[in-house]
Amino acid sequence: MPSIVSVRELRKSYGQIKAVDGVSFDVEEREIFALLGPNGAGKTTTVEILEGLRQADSGTALVAGVDVRKDPSGVKERIGVQLQQSAFPENFLAREIVDLFALFYRRRVDAMAILRSVGLEDKAGQKQEKLSGGQRQRLSIAVALVNEPRVLFLDEPTTGLDPQARRNLWELVRAIRARGTTVFLTTHYLDEAEALCDRVAIIDGGRIVALDSPPALIQALLGRGFSKPLVQQQANLDDVFLDLTGHALRED
Amino acid sequence: MGQILGYTALLLRAYARDRTALFFGFLFPLLFMVLFGVLNFGGSVRVDLAVVDEAKNEQSASFISTLQKIETLRITTGARDAELAKLSAGDRDLVLVIPSDFRITPARPGTSVPTLTLYESSAQPEAGAVGRAILGSVVNELSFAVTQTAPVVSLKREEVTGRNLKYVDFLTPGIVGMTIMQLGISSVAFAFVADRQRGVIRRIMATPIPRRSYMAAHVLQRLILAVVQVLILLAVAVFAFKVTVVGGLGSLLLVAVLGAVVFLNLGFAVTGLLTTENQAAVATQIVTLPQMFLSGVFFSRDAVPAFLRPIADYLPLTFLNDALRDIATTGATLADVGGQILGLVVWAVVSFIAAYRLFRLD
Repeated sequence: MPSIVSVRELRKSYGQIKAVDGVSFDVEEREIFALLGPNGAGKTTTVEILEGLRQADSGTALVAGVDVRKDPSGVKERIGVQLQQSAFPENFLAREIVDLFALFYRRRVDAMAILRSVGLEDKAGQKQEKLSGGQRQRLSIAVALVNEPRVLFLDEPTTGLDPQARRNLWELVRAIRARGTTVFLTTHYLDEAEALCDRVAIIDGGRIVALDSPPALIQALLGRGFSKPLVQQQANLDDVFLDLTGHALRED
Repeated sequence: MGQILGYTALLLRAYARDRTALFFGFLFPLLFMVLFGVLNFGGSVRVDLAVVDEAKNEQSASFISTLQKIETLRITTGARDAELAKLSAGDRDLVLVIPSDFRITPARPGTSVPTLTLYESSAQPEAGAVGRAILGSVVNELSFAVTQTAPVVSLKREEVTGRNLKYVDFLTPGIVGMTIMQLGISSVAFAFVADRQRGVIRRIMATPIPRRSYMAAHVLQRLILAVVQVLILLAVAVFAFKVTVVGGLGSLLLVAVLGAVVFLNLGFAVTGLLTTENQAAVATQIVTLPQMFLSGVFFSRDAVPAFLRPIADYLPLTFLNDALRDIATTGATLADVGGQILGLVVWAVVSFIAAYRLFRLD
């Protein structure tokens, strides 16, 4: 399979701190790929370099065939993004937010159809700041799709969501991939990476320490002789919670 | 261009939904006008003018009778020393001395022109300013009438002096100027500090829209708002408060837009120094509050203490208010307020450089 994101020896320092310290990896077309790591590991810096929002000190990154350093706005044209700690302007209706971002990409879109694709068609006429956390995340993904991106970057998309909204977002991500879009996400929920991703890269101290599919990584760990006290449980607390409260989305 | 205009339109639509912004942009200045206008805070200005007639000829008598026809003026006559004492005591706003050589004839080359002396009380700056403006026009009118040089202009002056200059007439241009200042400084500082803090600008900069287009739409939106604000304020002033706007609407709008450019630049420059909304609240007050009182919004600038004059005279709102007021109350043309326009242009250039250096999106 051809790779749609190709990163070679990427480096970025802030003063003495090496945020990204020689990172290389490839993301294949139509896969769901996750960058995992503790806070401060370099996840967001790496992603923001790929999104054309930051300049790397050295190394190369090709996204959808475009060199990020040479043509950041060309990259922005071809990708969809959801940023951490970002927001939409206030006093815009949900459908106006879609129109607004379509305008930024100089595209004409059917805002209602896009909202429908993320299950927000009945919120189209509501001010975006009145939406619940999960609805706002879905709006944010809808907006990231207005330019029919080749790659969708989601930076910690499920942080702060309740379990129902998280499951719902996973479904949405799978549906987007099914339509042919590559999804590149960061998360620090390991169950999320395991349930959702084809391959994960684990980053720590600005370096990639492992990269493979979740089952392969687990096998490799077991192969190194790792074992943990065996607790044979057929369910976990997450399952209990969802069993008691159901899968239906809550509107808060 | 289509992108900029489309963005501007969406920004205006969102603005129309923003209750807080609407309050400060439209209701707040109108409240000021109601408060000062209806409650007649400044009084419908009546000017107590004492005339000391040292000429006592036919022409001085006809000059005095002209003055008596003007509603705003309450004319008394008396002796110089007695009237000056009453001026100091606050019983008179102005004392006009007609010299013994007073005559109304065309000046011949080589002969001196009679000089009217006007004594003002520093305790009554508004009345003083109004009286001075009226006397100035009467003298001009007389000169034109006698020399017959410019009959068209003399007709226009007739209208100026014939009407009763009310306090709201004086106040309206000041409120317009204040509103433009608030729009420029506050709407920029609060909106951009909040959008920067919340990550709105970061999110938009992750799309391919050029920074220049983004800025252009925000500036254009606010310039359109400035024009709408001026039109609404003037409409309310004219229809609800019977304010007479003598000068041209086009000139007023042109000066207003120039003022808006200056204050937007200042707003962007100040915003460059801020990170939090609390800082914005303080910084906007520091910039706007002194100008509210030193630049003649509610009262004549004659009330400004002498040691502050050198500053007050060169504040951007001073240039804006003076130009708007001269156009609105005396029918000045753009050429007549050329000095003020030059002042605003200089401020526009300086503030643009400051904004360019200081303002940042991230």
